[in-house]
Amino acid sequence: MSLSGRGYVGSIIKVDLSSGKMDRVTLPQRDVSMVLGGKGLGALLLYNSTSKGIDPLSPGNPLILATGPLTGTLAPSSCRFSIITKSPHTGLFLDANCGGFFGVEVKKAGFDAIIITGRADQLSIVVIDDGDLYIEEASWLKGLKTIDAEDKVKNKFGKEFRVLTIGPAGEELVPIAGIFTDQRCAGRGGAGAVMGSKNLKAIAVRGRKPITVYDPDSFEKACWRAHRRLRMHEVTARSLPVYGTVNIIETVNEAGALPTKNFKTGVFPDVWKISGYEWRKGLWKKDKACFGCPIACGKLSHSSNYVVDGPDYETLWAFGPLCGISDKDAIVYANWLCDVYGVDTISTGVIVSFVMELYERGILRSEDVDGINAEWGNSEALLRLVEKICKGDGIGRELRLGVKKLSAKYGCEDIAMHVKGLEMPGYEPRAAKGMGLGYATSDRGACHLRAYTADKELLAYGGAVDPVKKEGKAKLVVDYQNEKALIDSIGMCFFASFALSFREIGEMLTTATGLPLEDANTLRTIGERVYNLTRLFNVREGVKREDDYLPRRFLKEPMPEGPAKGSIVELDEMLDEYYALRGWYGNGVPKPETIRRLGLDEILKLEN
Amino acid sequence: MNLGKLIRLSRIIDPSDGRSLVVAADHGLMLGPIKGVVDLEATLRKVIAGRPDAILVSPGQARRLSHLFMGREAPAMLVRIDWTNAFRDKTYTLPARSIQFNRVTTVKEAVKIGASGVVTYLFLGFDREEEHAAMVEEFSIECKTWSMPLIIEPLPMGPRITKANYVDMVKRAVGKAVELGADALKVPYTGDPYSFKDVIEVASGVPVLVLGGYKALSIRDSLEVVSEVLDAGAAGVVFGRNIVQDPNPDEAVRLMRRIIHGKETVTDILREKIKPPVRILVDVEKCSGCHICEFACSFIHEKVFNSSLARLRIEAFEDGRMFTPYVCTLCYSCVNACPNGALRVNSKTGAVEVSPELCQGCGVCVNVCPARVLKLINGRILSCDLCDGLPECVKWCSRSALRVEGGW
Repeated sequence: MSLSGRGYVGSIIKVDLSSGKMDRVTLPQRDVSMVLGGKGLGALLLYNSTSKGIDPLSPGNPLILATGPLTGTLAPSSCRFSIITKSPHTGLFLDANCGGFFGVEVKKAGFDAIIITGRADQLSIVVIDDGDLYIEEASWLKGLKTIDAEDKVKNKFGKEFRVLTIGPAGEELVPIAGIFTDQRCAGRGGAGAVMGSKNLKAIAVRGRKPITVYDPDSFEKACWRAHRRLRMHEVTARSLPVYGTVNIIETVNEAGALPTKNFKTGVFPDVWKISGYEWRKGLWKKDKACFGCPIACGKLSHSSNYVVDGPDYETLWAFGPLCGISDKDAIVYANWLCDVYGVDTISTGVIVSFVMELYERGILRSEDVDGINAEWGNSEALLRLVEKICKGDGIGRELRLGVKKLSAKYGCEDIAMHVKGLEMPGYEPRAAKGMGLGYATSDRGACHLRAYTADKELLAYGGAVDPVKKEGKAKLVVDYQNEKALIDSIGMCFFASFALSFREIGEMLTTATGLPLEDANTLRTIGERVYNLTRLFNVREGVKREDDYLPRRFLKEPMPEGPAKGSIVELDEMLDEYYALRGWYGNGVPKPETIRRLGLDEILKLEN
Repeated sequence: MNLGKLIRLSRIIDPSDGRSLVVAADHGLMLGPIKGVVDLEATLRKVIAGRPDAILVSPGQARRLSHLFMGREAPAMLVRIDWTNAFRDKTYTLPARSIQFNRVTTVKEAVKIGASGVVTYLFLGFDREEEHAAMVEEFSIECKTWSMPLIIEPLPMGPRITKANYVDMVKRAVGKAVELGADALKVPYTGDPYSFKDVIEVASGVPVLVLGGYKALSIRDSLEVVSEVLDAGAAGVVFGRNIVQDPNPDEAVRLMRRIIHGKETVTDILREKIKPPVRILVDVEKCSGCHICEFACSFIHEKVFNSSLARLRIEAFEDGRMFTPYVCTLCYSCVNACPNGALRVNSKTGAVEVSPELCQGCGVCVNVCPARVLKLINGRILSCDLCDGLPECVKWCSRSALRVEGGW
């Protein structure tokens, strides 16, 4: 039985930019039933189509865009697609998940996924106009900001097109460059540079095909119950719709877990100046939803010259507390710069805060950073540094390489806030140890969204757990990573899943696909399979226990103040427990029996 | 069950139909001064006007408001006998970092203040499960001594609960509550009737009342939940915020009563308000551009997801920063323009109807539609039928950007 028309379209488009060839291939049904779509499908395709050590910026590294079975349906907030590739920033697995409208359009155009390989001779654009596919040269888009490129493409091909694009930073192969659509961003890990390395500026998609499901009547009922559930849940009905992701910032600060001044402390005294309430009554003028999302966490900030979709929590934190800054206008402008030049806001903020700490220590002086007075809290310094990073101007050429490379040059590795090369997001590991273990074991480097244990440790949804204790955190992280890997593989937004159990999600998946997915344990196993799959990719690249590590600051410097005062992360103890629960050896490599139990030996081209 | 318990329980669950509508008003103890419970007496006076079977209050409020529970028509009194901090999430100044609980009164005291039943939590999934179970066991023994019905509220709570195991943990918690001697249960809805039937099976005949939780977007949503859980076999509900935070608590209670005791359907109740023409109103400011209405419309009518088959449309302006829904405004330009008389107005709803026999597919109507929502696809006219008076686009809009004039 084919999956076509059952949540899936049943077809993948392969684009080889070197030859200009485009091939449709059938969605591999057995593989899909084991990893579903999105992250899982992308990871599987990436693993099997590459070999160890492939250069992320080489033509052979595929850039994979994958939707899930729920993308473009009435399931709540199901607009998501994943971009999967080998990261130029970490040299490891990367999946970057994005909302907006693009993923839905890909499906309407008749594809579950797009695989792009090769390198075009000149800057190009891939156009998918329903059944009509072609590659065009795009020198007319060269050097354009993301929003301008998107506008120009729409003007040329039609307003109904949905456009995925990189900014100048992606064209310049900056390792922190993201991929943008509709002011939303698949930001982390440098997918924009991979796209740039292929000489691909944009992908424009327009589709007119209907999306269908296996059992429409049951699917409608399951979706409606899920929507109703979101409307009755505090997070999805109150917090996110009103204050966006910023709703949590004061709570995180109260727990002493709001990383401030490059993670020197977890307490930011000026947090009240940048609370959700302040944004709501100030710069935010409009709620903006992704396709099919009843939450609408997107908030548009209006300034005299530009409009920004944001800032979200992470961006606000990275340009705010992390740099000791509470100047809202500066934060919005920094957000805008990153969005239009096309770089990741989290990495950019962490780089700026690293510079500020080096400046404080006297390792960098004003003359080393183009005359900028890089003091904590100096919003002008923030903007000048962000602009230089975005434009690759002066010191910016070096800064945009990320804190791992900077720390290799300047020393101070203990305060370079990254894991595996990816800059760290906005939860302090010493004040929320599950988050710490989650960063250390995340498949793409320091990421808060691989195991968002903050909801139990800091926000107390559905039950509290002492954030400073290490006990039980390994189990929590394993469960959360598996569950998140499942969510990232079905096309639904993580935020919608706050209100839903796997039983409810399973009901939607089963009625959409006809596959036997109603059992929560089946879904958890799929998540576990996907997480082990990405681990195997990283292990093939040489990742070991030593790489599952946190910066020394968290392991040796006790938290100076706040509720977590005196705390350090007992990472090694948690790691031992984590590996044991995962069925991995003590060196972090999955055991053969784990690989077999999850059926990964059947779908992966393993070397031995 | 002993006689005293039976008599008291009959005040909570109506013996004539085995069903119950309890209004929870004990939030002040756990959540603090939330909307609806600040001037509790005023709220409860309205609630009582709707005639609930019982009201759940804290011991202090039970004493203070004892006069509300006197008289033959008065509701039965349920008393919360324990406290926990577990519901203090990030919206509180002091979010819970570890789960605390304790008893706040004795069953003997509940007898003295006139309670017909006592309510306690039972958490499963955190590190002090044994202590919690021991406390509930004490309550159970006291309840036996005093012939007081014990209503246990089993909840998955704490670090071991995840999305994947939630439903399973509800079942386990319910099972444990039954073992500890619950005379009735206050249970969270698992979200779908299939898994909830399993939960009710685990309850092994102990009456299951379903709790409400956060306030629903509309009374329509909460009525649907009530109806769904009753169908799955629940004996009724214990709803708090969905009643006490409603602008008209008495009306909310009355409507729920009609479903619980009157066995009416939600559709019956919603239809009462339908008067032609059913006009869909648009609030442009509230629209976030999610397009759910288009997909709902397309799916309900055509069984596929395709915005171009929807009978309404969302247009984006200012580079996608403003959104405007366009719906059929019942202007009837199309009806007047049709050269074949193929369009007519439905007398029940006011919607434009197409007669396939008369329609020649000329498209004149499409061209005169000022909202541009009338469509001609493959020779077929797609017109808004207002979903027979209960428009699906309105139902699915979570932001109330679309609503029915005078409707829910």
